[in-house]
Parts: sequence; structure tokens; C-alpha cells
Amino acid sequence: MNEKIITYIKDELSIEFIESIDMDEDLLGNGIVDSLGMMKLVVFLENEFQVTINPEDMTVENFNSVRSISTYLSKPQI
Amino acid sequence: MKLKLTASQMSLWVGQKMNPDVPLYNTAYSYEISGAIDKQIFEKAFQLLIDTTDALRIRFYEEDGIPYQEAKDKLDYNIEVIDFSSDPEFNMISDWLLNRSLKKLDLSQQVFDTVLIKKSENTYIWFMNMHHLITDGVSRKIIFDRMNKYYEALSGHHDGIQPVDSASYLDYVKSELDAASSKTHEDSYWSSKVRDIEKIHSFYGIHPKPDATEASRVFLHLGRERSQKLQLFLQRPEVKGWTAQLALFNVMSTLLFIFMYRVSGQKKLSIGAPLHNRISRKFHHTVGYFLEIFPMLTEIDDADSFKTLLQRVKLENSDNLKHALQDTVTSEISNSFNVVLNYIHTGFSNFNGFKTTSEWIYTGHIDSNHQMRCHVMVPETNGEYKIMLDLNHGTFDHELQQKVPNHLLSLLDAMLQDIEMDISVPSLVTPKEQKLLIDPDFKIVEPTTTALTYFEENALKRPNSVALQGDKQTLTYSELNKKANQLAHYLYEKKILENQKVALHFYRNPEYIIAVLAVLKLGATFIPIPSDQPSERIRFIIGNSDASLVLTESGLIKNLDIDSNRLCDITKERSEISKQPFTAIQSDLKKNDMAYILYTSGSTGKPKGVRISHSALSNYLGWAKAAYNINEKSIFPLFSSIGFDLTITSTLLPLISGGRIITYKENTFGADMSLMQVFEDNMVNTIKLTPSHLALVQEKKISSSYIHTMIIGGEDLKIALAKSMQSAFPNPLRIFNEYGPTEATIGCIVSEFDSQKHLGTSVPIGTPIANMQAYVLDSHNNIVPQGVVGELYLSGIGLAEGYVDAPEMTEAKFVANPFFKDSKMYRSGDLCRINGNGEFEYLGRTDDQVKLRGYRIELSDIESNLVNYPEIDLCAVVLIEDKTSIPEEDVVNCIECGLPSNYPNTDFNENGVCHLCTAFESYKVKAERYFKNDDELLQVLTSKRNQNPNYDCISLLSGGKDSTYVLARLVNMGLRVLAFTMDNGYISDQAKANIDTIIKKLGVDHVYGETPHMNDIFVDSLHRHHNVCNGCFKTIYTLSTQIALEKEIPFIVTGLSRGQFFETRLTEELFWDEALDTKKIDQTILEARKLYHQEDDAVKKLLDVSMFDDDKLYEKVEFVDFYRFSDVSLEELLVYLKENVGWVRPTDTGRSTNCLINQVGIYVHKKEMGYSNYSFPYSWDVRLGHKTRDESLEEINEVIDETEVKRIMKEIGYDKSDDDWQNSDKLVAYYTGNPNLSLKDIREFAEQRLPSYMVPTVFKHLNEIPLTKNGKVDKKALKNLTSVQLELDTPYAAPRNEIEEILERIWQEVLQLKKVGIYDNFIALGGHSLAAIRATARINDEIELNFPLNKIFELPTIAEYSAYIEQTLMALLEE
Repeated sequence: MNEKIITYIKDELSIEFIESIDMDEDLLGNGIVDSLGMMKLVVFLENEFQVTINPEDMTVENFNSVRSISTYLSKPQI
Repeated sequence: MKLKLTASQMSLWVGQKMNPDVPLYNTAYSYEISGAIDKQIFEKAFQLLIDTTDALRIRFYEEDGIPYQEAKDKLDYNIEVIDFSSDPEFNMISDWLLNRSLKKLDLSQQVFDTVLIKKSENTYIWFMNMHHLITDGVSRKIIFDRMNKYYEALSGHHDGIQPVDSASYLDYVKSELDAASSKTHEDSYWSSKVRDIEKIHSFYGIHPKPDATEASRVFLHLGRERSQKLQLFLQRPEVKGWTAQLALFNVMSTLLFIFMYRVSGQKKLSIGAPLHNRISRKFHHTVGYFLEIFPMLTEIDDADSFKTLLQRVKLENSDNLKHALQDTVTSEISNSFNVVLNYIHTGFSNFNGFKTTSEWIYTGHIDSNHQMRCHVMVPETNGEYKIMLDLNHGTFDHELQQKVPNHLLSLLDAMLQDIEMDISVPSLVTPKEQKLLIDPDFKIVEPTTTALTYFEENALKRPNSVALQGDKQTLTYSELNKKANQLAHYLYEKKILENQKVALHFYRNPEYIIAVLAVLKLGATFIPIPSDQPSERIRFIIGNSDASLVLTESGLIKNLDIDSNRLCDITKERSEISKQPFTAIQSDLKKNDMAYILYTSGSTGKPKGVRISHSALSNYLGWAKAAYNINEKSIFPLFSSIGFDLTITSTLLPLISGGRIITYKENTFGADMSLMQVFEDNMVNTIKLTPSHLALVQEKKISSSYIHTMIIGGEDLKIALAKSMQSAFPNPLRIFNEYGPTEATIGCIVSEFDSQKHLGTSVPIGTPIANMQAYVLDSHNNIVPQGVVGELYLSGIGLAEGYVDAPEMTEAKFVANPFFKDSKMYRSGDLCRINGNGEFEYLGRTDDQVKLRGYRIELSDIESNLVNYPEIDLCAVVLIEDKTSIPEEDVVNCIECGLPSNYPNTDFNENGVCHLCTAFESYKVKAERYFKNDDELLQVLTSKRNQNPNYDCISLLSGGKDSTYVLARLVNMGLRVLAFTMDNGYISDQAKANIDTIIKKLGVDHVYGETPHMNDIFVDSLHRHHNVCNGCFKTIYTLSTQIALEKEIPFIVTGLSRGQFFETRLTEELFWDEALDTKKIDQTILEARKLYHQEDDAVKKLLDVSMFDDDKLYEKVEFVDFYRFSDVSLEELLVYLKENVGWVRPTDTGRSTNCLINQVGIYVHKKEMGYSNYSFPYSWDVRLGHKTRDESLEEINEVIDETEVKRIMKEIGYDKSDDDWQNSDKLVAYYTGNPNLSLKDIREFAEQRLPSYMVPTVFKHLNEIPLTKNGKVDKKALKNLTSVQLELDTPYAAPRNEIEEILERIWQEVLQLKKVGIYDNFIALGGHSLAAIRATARINDEIELNFPLNKIFELPTIAEYSAYIEQTLMALLEE
């Protein structure tokens, strides 16, 4: 899962070309992804992992790094 | 590569084509570089830029009307350099830049224009203008950075030139076109949203002008303090988003939504937001037009706070954004908003290391679709936020352009101050603006003279001038004064003192005027009660007002059912009164004493008395005299109801001015034709009336009228009407439009119609009169900005002292004035706005606002648009609510019988018992006499035994429990029975098996009846009766009668339940007769049965019914209702069936019935009427003790299999769908004028002017718009027509006389309609034989005659029947 997310960010989203992304890299804070990109990522996650991400869950806390995204996704869905 | 345009490019292309000479999409920037620029290097760098950026080499052209784009391989470019250094005056340069940015780009050649300007040795300006088709915000940044890089490299700062690694724009275009061609929009998220997207229809009451592109850019600097607050606000947990930009975007869209709501009143809102749309990294560095504008939608809730709305907007924005990324937004959606919010997050860095500032040169034009664009800039280096507003001149004039930023700031400040605040709480207007709307120096100047003094002065000054004419007498001022004095003395003797109340119940005649003056002279208070008031209402008024005395005349005394010592008939007392002295009477009249109390209709159904003081009255009269130039030459007719506040003008204004009144007495009964008489006589020159009155005289004799002054009140005055009056009257006609609720004394806002100035639909009501003020406030008592609609509040000397004996209502309507201490203001309930001329415009009642599918609609708004249609004279729009719109959970059931509260015209008492149960109590005993016992049944059925060797009777067997029981009992009684079953095609297999078992077990003969037309009969029944049973029953009766006739069987026994008797045969009216004769009831039922078979339905058309033409048939074959004789409860019945017959409940219908189509009927009935067709008969079963309430409700509430229902509907060819049954509330427009107008044309006309949800569904022509007694449009009457009535060709016409009124009432009750026109057809309105029984019984009861049942079908309109009754009565009289 993490690899897929990282690959997607690297290939499709990151504003500038980027060699590698650390699991804890601050995606928003370091300007790797902007808010529109983040939304694109949400769409990607929903399609790729067959989940529904509620707008309420779209917070910095849940999405600021690949690790937190993966933690969020592994939580049981309500 | 030759390519078509992307969808986004296409909408720009179309916009540009529509405005070919307007620089709509020039996006010009100037970069001021603080350093010396080398021209040669700059030119080289620019050439490199062109070489590496395909967007700059693109040209556009059309082939066969289709636009294409193509990039030139090579474009050699020499940059233009202009030297302004000798004259570096800044303004000149900026003018030059603006001019240059307006230059039209020839897209077939070159999509950009660029210049290098030398401002001084060390300051250069790079001007770069690109057409929007190939650029956007991000692109401009890319261009700047790329240019900078090349310049730096060529200047030798770097080693060589870095290659550009971005994809070409045309590659992107190609990928977009490919994607678009493979995509379908049908199922996209947006196609479902389209319906919800609405433009703002008016900002500040101004409807945007189409095609306007000119717009002003207004800047909004938030300043340091506010910016800091905003910065902190954006970090609050409930506000913050993924990024600070996103948070700011959400906050700004919330703010804009609130602003839009507050200045338009609209709740469904949408904003367009450009999306940079460079999602794929491949195009991150590509120059081109990538933007897509996606809609943000929200619906404001009344209870929203900043916080709740912001939360919702946050979620909605992210949801919309998510979908915007997946589905292309269609152009339909892109054109469905007119407010745009743009977040500009691209800053520019330095050029060649030199400090550089950039400016977006505004060309003064925006897309004509956009009325308002809000650009939020990334905060500047000092942390301050800047907002730019582009305001389209099609909506925003110069004045508004100044106000809009302030209004936005008011909202922003409120939000920053308290996020929990209700969004309607903060005021939009600034204190400076408020001063223009409410004069802070307003002071009341009390009038020094009362109306009475004015009159008495006239009596001295011009004693011999005529003051009053009417009823064959003429009185001079002196005579009138003397008569009034005499009456005053007389009343004084009757102990009438200051402040006592005297009710005046008079026709309009000189006596009334004398009485008014006499009461005033005593310092007492008069209460006018017009002649047509019902006694009940008069009694209420007298009691409520605590009137000491009622003055009246002989002709009206019969209306007064009160104590004789409180009553005075001046006709009788005439000689007594004439003995009184002529001299004035001394009274101590104080200006705060009440001059009169006027009763107006109240919302509670009880009239309310409005108390008006002398100072209020004098203020109005004194003002009106001067403003309308009323003088000794003025002659007014007194022709309108004396109980109407408007009439006070005609009653007193002439007398205080030295003029004359001519009274026009109303008819004793029937419509008041006085106004016609006024024009016929042509004796007056000044008149006060309502617009509806005016419309009545439109065609009458006005070409020779002497009228020169017209005061119009009571209703909205349309400009068209005012204009047509001015041209129709021979003299120059001054028309004053007077507005004023009774509670603010006759008229308090007035305008004089000016055909030059007044151009809209309605004549504005104008400005407040002397000593009065008017405010337009919102729901939080904030002054609304000029132009915005709000509720009108009135303040000043004219306010009433409140309502009689209704302190709570007084407190609710007369509230503390927040703008002036110790002062009250009256809440008018009227919607108003102040127009550009500063005049108040009346926009209808606050309760004229209706809600339709979530939209709030001003009915008057629709009306004023429709009356502009050339051949429509008058128009009234109402919302007709669908009965079924009561949500099921709001329906309650009678606690005794279970009748649902949505059954038409039900009335539950406080214990929850329905009116049918209550009424039944009174004739229960009598009803019991209708029922008989088993012995009698046997007697009847064997009475003709010798006629037929094989059978005594046919027993109708459906296979259900009730009919099975009937058959079993008949057999058990030893009768020879032929069982008959109607196979309607939907009898369940188990039910058929049941029938076979029963027949075998009981050993009876059995026949099936069937017809190939059954499905047509079902469909007809569904259309006619909203169920299938009616059609099926009639088929059974018809076919079984045929068999009985063939086989000469004398009786047919039905299994109708007792409850069903009351549905099909019995009515309450049949039991009214004290000496109840069941034979007579049987006779009536038989008559009804004959009519029943004559009804023109599918059965009559499709089956052979010729036998019913012969009256002898009804002797040959009689119907006998088994349950009329047998009294059995459901429980007993089931036990009997189980033990004796072996009947089992079929399980394959899924319900308690044995008929599969039965549920289709129930389903349709519920959809169309709101309740089950079994509700009514079952309630009777319960009432008669044949079912318990629970049993009944259980059966009624059985689950319906919708899929099966729809399958059967399709099978039988019934073509209604869910759409037809969607909440069918609808707007209905009634109009007068040309009756042959094309409805299609009217609809198109309406569609061009109104948002789709405001276009009426039904347009109906009327000969006349019905009016209330006060001459206002009777909307209640119009609202109460049903859809069937609307479909009739006959226009609604109200009853014209007493008999017609009686008939109308009876028809209303019997047909369960709220309104019946006198030309409406009884049968077309659903009148069937049972209704005929009821109606005829009631008519006979009221008229005390004995009309036959069939008369109502022979004379099926109220007008015809009433004429027949009149003839009959006349004939009787002559005998």
C-alpha cells in the first residue's frame, strides 16, 4: 500500500520532480503536494483501495504523511 | 498538429465571438523591474521563450464554423521597445499600458503582445499581454520565470541555457480532446446537480442586464489588524484545512455565499471557482489554458451560523472538488453561476536579481455571464490580504460599487468577531449608509387642528356650500353641521360621553356621515360597521369593542341581535332628534383620544379592532388635503365599504377641505354596483379606490368623466393600469398611489404616478408622508441596504394605539423602535425595497411568499412579470398545495374509527374523534332501523320463488372471506343459489382454488363472468376514482345483471360490508328525516342506482348496458345486500368459515385480499389522494361494530409491493409514473384579458423572465378576478380550486345570488371541494350518484321542496339548477 501511494505521489502529484519520499515526509508542509493534489490523492486512494473517504476525515492529521495516510486507511471504516 | 478546442477553451471562444470587439480575455501584466535591461539580450531571451513555449506560437482559425488551433513551427519576433525615460510621468505610462492592454489580439496571427518600456535608466517595464485561450495564472508565472532564466543565462550569470523539460500545450489539448470524446456526461455527478444550480437572479433588487461586459475593479484592502485576525482565524481547528490557502478559500466562499444570500434573499447559491487543473505532473510546467471553472453549491439554512455554514461549505467544497477532478464540468454548468471566486496564489519573484513588482492590468471588461468576480490574492509580504472585486455594470452602478466592499467587510468582521454568530445577525450597512436610510433628525410635529375643527370652520366659512348629497337630499355645510349637532345632543342625552364607543351600522348614506360627525363632536369614538356584515360578526364587534351604543337605521335593524337599550334606530327617532338644538355641543376632545376603531379581518378568523387617534387621523387628512390639492371644488363619491380604512378618505377628506361628498348606497343584496353608478352619474371629480375597482371600470364610460384626481390604495398598482387610465380619461389625470395598513392610518407612504419616471411593472408606493417614517428591515431588525428586499416597518404619528382587547397581538405588531428611543414601530408584514430613486416599492406580503420545492417565491414577482404580457390585463398567482403533500407521519387517525386526518374535509375534535363519528352519534339509532335480520332476508329472497324453477338468487362470490360467508349462509338457509365470480384477470391462483373448494363443498352451481375490456375498465377507474374497485364493481353488477336477466333470477345478493354501504349507498342525509322511512331510503337508493348505470364511463362504453335503459329491469332484478340483514363480526365470520367451509386465506397475494390488482388501486389512491381508498368504508365498518379499529388499520396499512404494482400498471396500460406523483404542489396563474391567448406563448414569455421554478404550471383564464368585499384579489378563492376544476374549460365564476350561494355551499360539502364556480359541471367535478343523493337531499332540506335526484344531472351547473329552483319557487308563489 505504502509503495503504491508513494509511487503515485512521485509520478503524478508532486509539484516538482522528487527522487524519493520518506514515510514521514510532510507532504503538505514541504510543498510536495498542494490541496488540489491532495484531493486527487483522495480520489486515487478511493479508487485504488476501494474505500470511501468522508470529507470530515480529510484533515491534515490524517493526510500529512504517507505513514499517517496508511494508518488512517487501516482504521476500520465506519 | 491541427486540433479542435478543449471544452474550456471553447467557452472562451464563444464568449469572445459574442463580443468580438471587447478585450474580454486579454490578460495583460506589467512587470516593473528596478534595474537596467539589455535590449538585445531581452530580445534573444524572448525569442528563446517563444521557441520553447508552443502556446505562444499557437494561432486560431475557423473552418466551416469550427474553431481550430495550430502551433507555428517558428515565429521570429522583434520586440518593441519604447523609451519613456525623457518623460517618465507615471500616470502617462499607466494610461499607455491600459490602452495597449485593450488592443485587440488577432488570434489568427498571434496570441500575445509584448513591449519593453524604458521608464528610466534603471527602471524598465516588461508588458506582456496574452489571450486567455493560451494562458492562465500558473502559466503567467511559468512565462515570467522562464523569461527570467533565459535572460539570466544569456547575460552570462549561468553556464549555458537549461533545456525546458515541460510537455507541449497542444499535447495536453490532444489528451483532453481524446478524453472528452470517450467520456459521457450522462451519469456524471454534475448532471444530477444541474437542477440545483441557480444564478443570483437579483443583487440588491437589480436584475442583471444580459450581455453587459463592462465592469469595474474595486479593491478591498483588509489592512494590518484585520489581516492578522484573519490569519489567526484560519488556524482555528474548525476553520483550518489542508493548507492555509484552502482554509482561506473556504472562508471566502462562505463569506461570499452569505453576502449573496443577504443581498438577493436567495438560498440556493452557487459560485464558480476556477481550478488550476494541472493535476498531472507532466503539465506542471506547461504554458496554456488549463483552468476549469467548477461550481460550488450550497443552500443556506435559516438557522445557520458562520460556523455551521463554514463547516458545510468546507465539506461541500471538498466533495465538489473531488468530483470536479473526475468529471468534466459541462458548459451547461459553467454557465449556471454568475459569481466567481478566484484564488490567485502565484507571486512573482525578481527579474535578473532586480527587485520586480507586477501588476495585472485590468481591461475593464469581464465575461457577461459573470456579475461579480472576487479575486483573493496570496497575502503580500507584509502579511496583508488584498481582495479585488470585478463588478459588472450590468448589475452594479457606481453607488453600489462603493457599497459592496463595505458590506463584505461588515460580514467578514462579524465572522472574525464571533464564529458562532447567526449569519443573519450582522448588519451590512455602515453607519454612514444608515443615515441616508433613516433620518436621524426626524421629529414629529403635532398637527394643531383636528379633523372636526376643520369641518366646523368650513361650516362657518362657507355655510351655504353643498357638503353632502345622496339619498335624494342635499345638505349645505351649515345644514350638515346643524344635523350633526342635533344628533350629538340626542346622543348626549343617551349618556354618550367622551371616549365612549358608538358603533355605526349604516348603509352608505348621508345619515352615516351625520352620525360620524356627531360622534366626533361628543369626543366619542365611532366604529363603522357596513351593511353587509353578518350578524355574528356584528355581535362580536360590539362585544369586543365594548360599544356603549349602536346607531343604525330601520333597514338594518334586523341584523342586530343585541340588547335594545344599547340600540338606537335613528329612522324611528328622527322626530325626537329633530327636536334637539342646532348649537354646537361642548366636548373636551383630546388629540390622543380615539377617533375611530376599525375592524379588519384577523388571521385568527376573528376581526381585530384597530384604534386610531385624532392626531393620527388629523395628520393624514391635513397632509392629504395639501398633497392631493383637495379644496372646495373637490367632489368625492362615497361608494366603497365604510368598514374599509380606505373609505375614511372619502368620508372626511372632502368635508375638511370644503368639498362635497356624494353618497352611493349599496344594494340590499347581490354585488355592489355603486362604482358603475358613480361613472354613470358622472358627478364627481376626485375618487379614492382600489386598483381592482379601477380594473372594473376600465371598459366603462370614462371618456366623458370629470375625474382629475385619483387616489389609489389597498393593493399593488400596476403601471400598465395607471397608464391606461391616464390615456382613457379625458382630463389630465393625477394618480396618487397610497400605501398604508389600517394600523398606520389610511395612507402613510404615497407616490404620484409619473409615466416618465416609473418604468417597471408596479407604481412605487413612494415616500412617507409628513410625520411618518418607514424602514426596510431584515429578520434581525437590521436596516437592509438600498435595493434589498425586507419587511416594511412604519413609525410616526399615524400609528394606531394598538388592537382592542388584544395586548399580545398589539405587542407583537407594535414593537419598540430601535432607531428612536421611546418610540414604536409597526411591523407591516409587507415586503418592500427602496429603489434607485429612493422610492419604496411594494413587493407583496411576507406571507405571500410561498415555498415550492425548497425555493422561496414571491408570488407578486411572478404576477408583475405576467401582467407585462401584451394581452393579459390582470393576473393573480397562487400556490395550490397538493393534498398528498402531508407527510404520512403527520397523519393521525380518529381514535374511534381510524379515519385518517388527511381524508378530505375531516375535522377532529379535541379528543381526536372525527366528525363522521361525532355526527353518527346523532343518527345512530335511526341508522339502525335501516338494518334488518336473517328472517327478513329469507323472506325477501323466497318472495319470488315461484318465478324461477332453479334459483332463488345469484350470490356474488369474489372468493374473499365476506362473499364466501354470504354464499355459505345462503346455502345454509336452504336457498337455491347460483354463485357468480368475476374473473378480472387478477384473481390469485390460491383464491381460485379456494373458490373451487367452496363450490364443491357447498354444492352450488357456479359461473365465471369475464370481459376482454377489463384492463381498459381498470385504467378508466384509476383515472376516474383513483382505484380499481369502482370499475370492477360496476363490471360485476353489469355482467351479473345480464345473467340474472337471461336466467330470470330475481335477486342478486352482494357481499358488500356495512362500511361499504356508506361508501356506495347510504349517506348521512338519508337519516335526517325525523320520521325515518326505510322504504323511502330504498327508493332513493334505487334512483341512485339507475343514475349510476347511466354514468358515462368505460363500462358504459365497452359493455352492453342497454338493459339498464328499461326501468322495468329494476323490478325484474333486485339487488339485496346480505350484510344489511346479517350482523356478524369479523371474528365470528372467520370462525364460521373455518368450521363450515374450509376457507383459507390466500397467501399468494401477500395481503388479506384475494385479488392481485387490488393493491394497484390502493397504491394509486394513496399517491393521488394521500390516503387508502379503504380508509373510508373501513371507518364505517368500525363505526358499525363490524371491525375493530386495529383490524381496520392493520388491513389499511398492509405493505404494498411496489415492483408488482408497477408491473401490473404497465400490463393494464396505466401510464402514470413516479414523476407524475412527485409533490404536485403547483403554481397556478389566473389572468384576465384575451381568452384565446396561446398558453405556449405565455409560458415562453414567463420562461424568459423568471427562473424555471417560478414559471407557473397552469395558466387559467378568468373573465374576472374574484375580489374580497374590500375590493382586493380573493386569493383564498383562487387557491381552493382543485386540479380537476383547473382543467375544466369553464372559468371560475362566483355565485351571484342567494340561491347560487346555497348551491355552492352544498356542492362544496358534497363534492369535498373548497370552491365551486357556478358554471362548473357537477359530473365533471366527480359528482356521481351518491353525491347526487347527498346534494339533492340537502337542497330539498334547505329549500323545503322535493326535487328529484336526476335533476342535478339534467341541470349540472349551479347556474342552471339555481335558475330552475327560482322558476319553481316563482311558479309556487303564483299559485
